[in-house]
Amino acid sequence: VLAGYPRNSEDEEYVLVNNKCQCVTVTSKFVPSKENPGEEILERNIRILVPLKARENISDPLSPLRTTFVYRMTELCKKCDPVEVELGGEIYQAQQSTSCDEPETCYTYNRDKCYTTTFPFRYHGEIKHVQAALTPASCYAD
Amino acid sequence: MTLLAFVFLLAFLPAESASSRYLPKAAISSHVFGPRQVYGLLKGSVTVKCFYPPTSVNRHDRKYWCKESATGCTTIVSTNGFTAPGYQGRVSITDYPLAKNFQINMTGLTEADEGTYQCGVGINGRGLSHKVSLDVSEGPHVPEGAELFYVKLHSTLTVSCSFGPDYADIRKYLCKMEKSGCRNVVNSYHQFGEDYVGRVLPSFVGTSGSFSIVITQMGWEDSGLYVCGAGTYGESGESKELDVHVYEETKVPQGKPTIFGVKGSSVTFECRYEPLRRSSVKYWCKWRENGCAKIIDNSGFVSPLYEGRVAMYNNPLNNTYTIILNQLKNTDSGYYWCMTEEEKEQQSSTELKIIDGQPGLEGRKEVEAQVGSRVDLTCSYPCKYYSYQKYWCKWNNTGCILMPSSDQRQPGTDVTCDTDNKTVILSFDSVAKTDQGWYWCGVKRNGLFGETMAVHLEVTGGSGASRSLDLLDIAEPPSHADTPSHVEPPSHVEGGFIPKEKSYSDAGVRSAAASESSDPSHGPSKLVLILSPIGAVLLVLVAAFAVFKYRQMKRSDLVSVGSYRTNISMSDFESVKEYSASNNACVQESQETQMGGDEFVATAAPPESAAETKKAKRSSKEDADLAYSAFLLTSSGIAQGGPGGDSAAPDGPPSNWEGQI
Repeated sequence: VLAGYPRNSEDEEYVLVNNKCQCVTVTSKFVPSKENPGEEILERNIRILVPLKARENISDPLSPLRTTFVYRMTELCKKCDPVEVELGGEIYQAQQSTSCDEPETCYTYNRDKCYTTTFPFRYHGEIKHVQAALTPASCYAD
Repeated sequence: MTLLAFVFLLAFLPAESASSRYLPKAAISSHVFGPRQVYGLLKGSVTVKCFYPPTSVNRHDRKYWCKESATGCTTIVSTNGFTAPGYQGRVSITDYPLAKNFQINMTGLTEADEGTYQCGVGINGRGLSHKVSLDVSEGPHVPEGAELFYVKLHSTLTVSCSFGPDYADIRKYLCKMEKSGCRNVVNSYHQFGEDYVGRVLPSFVGTSGSFSIVITQMGWEDSGLYVCGAGTYGESGESKELDVHVYEETKVPQGKPTIFGVKGSSVTFECRYEPLRRSSVKYWCKWRENGCAKIIDNSGFVSPLYEGRVAMYNNPLNNTYTIILNQLKNTDSGYYWCMTEEEKEQQSSTELKIIDGQPGLEGRKEVEAQVGSRVDLTCSYPCKYYSYQKYWCKWNNTGCILMPSSDQRQPGTDVTCDTDNKTVILSFDSVAKTDQGWYWCGVKRNGLFGETMAVHLEVTGGSGASRSLDLLDIAEPPSHADTPSHVEPPSHVEGGFIPKEKSYSDAGVRSAAASESSDPSHGPSKLVLILSPIGAVLLVLVAAFAVFKYRQMKRSDLVSVGSYRTNISMSDFESVKEYSASNNACVQESQETQMGGDEFVATAAPPESAAETKKAKRSSKEDADLAYSAFLLTSSGIAQGGPGGDSAAPDGPPSNWEGQI
């Protein structure tokens, strides 16, 4: 009757955090323990990509270079994306964490968003404020 | 037995809870996909096709082809117009954004060209790329690479393999390469891999040794190498490799993979068809191991088992078909497929799970009425449907026709909504035999169909009779002289007086029979089972008595124009539908089988449940760990966690965490 082992017993790595704003991913998987090879323990991999040439304000290329990068696990592990929950036959969208309204300071660009800035442009002695795209590929209308 | 079942359940629990809460790593790895190995001939040429998710930014971004070296990946050619010196005229790159891929063509291959390359999108080294290994050999034969498939999450994959007519009778299979070997997906003996039951539809029919397989609801775990072949994998026969990659375009899923239906209520399925071809036949079927059993199609076919239960609506505006299935039972659980005759890519499947609950729309499901009488079909709705559109419609094979408020055909029929009582009533002033059938009460919002409730209206011939058990109510004044009698006169009556008389006599018997089914809410078949034999016995007695009385009257030679004799004929028993209703109930009981496996699959149980396995324990501790580890990280100083780069878990903090368990 015991039809077998769970299919995913082999190294299935799961994503806990995928934060595009601060460029952090945290994944976890079960690995054999070093002390006791028969036992499996949970290993967590944290991958942080620090953009060393980023500005303090990523939307303003004239702001100074950022020298301080702060990564807080509690903030990264907050699940603010709504998920679908099934209650009594109907599907609802629910947010899993509180305090999701606080604005996040981003260290790097989100590929799917368009970032623009205005800068003073001198043309024929006149200074105009022109809007320019910081991430041109993301700023197409289609 | 239950213990074993419980252990079986536990074995699946950890995997289930983990996979439903978190995405696998495949979801966030690079979605640029291409061949793993490319083979070229000396002085020959090779074309590499690389796929990417067709988001706006990807379509407009730079595409590149670079060669890996010690210092990174140096660009050879890119869509910005750059070609590296030494490759001028030899290499070209072309982007096909509508086809979701770009292609690199390298000609004049030399041995120096062997090596590892990357095809990618954006900026070199940022991770949105795919490694390709180029092999240059003298030849003359070059091995064939795997066939590439790039499928969207939750969509459908169609693979077809052919090996020639020699392999027409040999066992065929499709399996997925895992670390432990090649796991079966489906084979020509109709054996399905456990993860693929319900979402795989093979078609092995064909004399040319070719077959095709359709897999729906492609998930992250479905990415990988597959092998389709004839024979046995690794032992005999021929095989072909398939490389499948699942990508996600936007966060919005294509279609819900699982729909929950409340028992007794209804569900709505949506079938999407990209460019809708009006000419093709579209149908909806239930998955079975030996095929897909057709339930309804857009040409008017409805499976007899589903009469009155299912309807199909076409929405040409957004290229979808809507299917409504009501009167849900436990046996309705399973996988349902939306199919087209051509265009295998348009096929999709949904799993239906039946749960217990209270249906929203309530009312009498079986209504019986006499011809010519006034009938009200009521349907009560709860407050949640207060702002919705409510409607009544008459069901037939091609759909459910809305009953408009003023129907010239039936004077006096109207649909009213009594706002105080939250009921919708469909009234018939004088119901006719043609009104018999299924009627649906439903709600609709913004053009989307919601819940429905089905009512069966039974119209019996005869004058308006009282519903009492008064069997001897023979002297019945006729109210409608024009009601046709569908009962043939019994054979033992000579010189048939007037068929009219027979119809009036029918009324008496009918009222008796009708009263039995006057309370359909006492539905349970047990009650009907007990009542029907009793009713049959009573009717036989009444028939005998009435025939006896009639014969007496006949002999006394009464000529009456105004007097009415009821006569009971044997044909009454044939046309009484109550028996067929109860028979259906009997059949229903014996056919009800539990779908194996559904009951064991737990809906995402919280890992905090009392699971015995160590793994479950660990993953439940994970949340506690996270809070503690956050504490540790911040307290041990930023310096440790600063310029990390691509570091795996450092040895410091994790051992701290472990020590605390």
